[in-house]
Amino acid sequence: MTSAKETPVIDDAPLADPAEIRRAMEYYAERGWTDGLPVVPVTESYLAEFLATTSRDPDEVLIPMPHLNKNLTVRLAAINAALAGCLPEYFPVVVAAWDSFLRDGMVTRAIWQSTTGTAGFVVVNGPVRERIGLNCRGNVWGSGFRANATIGRAIRLGAINGLGLKPHVFDQATQGTPAKYSCCIGENEEDSPWPSLAADNGIGPEDSAVCSCVIRSVLHIEARHTTAPEQLAADFADSLCRTGALVRPRASGYVVLNPEHARLLDKAGWTKQDLRQAIVEHGFRTYGQLAAAGKEAIAAGTNWRLPGDHPDAVAQQPPADPNTPVQLIASADAIQIVVAGAPNAGVSSIVETFGPFDRQPMVVKVEEKK
Amino acid sequence: MLERAGIPAVSLCTDAFRITAEAMANQLGFPGYQYVAVPHPVASRTEKEIDEMAHDALPEVVRILGAGLIIRPVD
Repeated sequence: MTSAKETPVIDDAPLADPAEIRRAMEYYAERGWTDGLPVVPVTESYLAEFLATTSRDPDEVLIPMPHLNKNLTVRLAAINAALAGCLPEYFPVVVAAWDSFLRDGMVTRAIWQSTTGTAGFVVVNGPVRERIGLNCRGNVWGSGFRANATIGRAIRLGAINGLGLKPHVFDQATQGTPAKYSCCIGENEEDSPWPSLAADNGIGPEDSAVCSCVIRSVLHIEARHTTAPEQLAADFADSLCRTGALVRPRASGYVVLNPEHARLLDKAGWTKQDLRQAIVEHGFRTYGQLAAAGKEAIAAGTNWRLPGDHPDAVAQQPPADPNTPVQLIASADAIQIVVAGAPNAGVSSIVETFGPFDRQPMVVKVEEKK
Repeated sequence: MLERAGIPAVSLCTDAFRITAEAMANQLGFPGYQYVAVPHPVASRTEKEIDEMAHDALPEVVRILGAGLIIRPVD
């Protein structure tokens, strides 16, 4: 109980007029410049702090979208990073994430307008993780870490406000995915027995790097049951090859291994490449399993999976034995491995991507202005 | 885009995409651009149903083309 005589305590919270704060928040919300959550007001002077972290020209186009008459410039990316709640020192990571999306190629092919409803996924490696407090350990997909939450959100707000991809208008997602709010993780390099995603792609340990791609979902893998590497590989391959994910002939994705799984595999003498190869070996469904879901044939033109009796299906002779395997993971290049999370349980995840199926991911060095 | 290149064209979409079609027309500087909206969905219809949809949409396609074409039934 507070006594009436007690001196009121003024703590060190900044004093501000709540009505003014609400007015600023509503200004942005009314214009549709948000993802639904409140955004941070951006002034020219605050924007300048973001632009000062990069040597890139504010007018440089990061993502061109000519069919919508839109260009995401460095300046627009910075405004949206500020709106998202990033600190200025996060901005070089946001720029590298956009560079990686450009090189990946899916965003400029208008995939974020598609009914599929994909999200951006950003993986960060290197010393910048520590500097900005980007989580790569426990609860890595969860909430609680400003850098993860706001860098991922800067991508979404950049899409909404910079590229014009507003839901129900140019973003025609049928359902979308919760990852559209934000989806950014660090790799737990310190607890990983293997070289990082960045190291695998030629980035030195003193440099930081970002790898972005377009994803459909993040699947939970419960695998505390075994210490046999082959069984783990089979478990991951099963989820990667689920029929519900198959739009195109092949599957692709990230395996985000918790450090405990990674150490278990390493202890058994497995490298990342061994795991990828084992997943390829288990990366099939039988013809009968595909036919049961109506995905045993390929459409002429679109290359989408559909039933064998569909008029668009490319004619094929069904195998005599329905147990004949149909390879769904074509090669190790369709599988990327990242180590993240806490080393406290056999819980990993699969990130279902929209490719790449046959090339390395687009890892981009973070350029921090000295 | 085809029409800007001088090639007569008609855009078709299903009625589920009307908002996007109109936003696209505005965004590219053609407010009021005429297009044909057919019933949604397309992907799950049979070949016969698609033929019927095409048949029903054809007079509107021809009207928008504005070429004074005469529709003759297929022999």
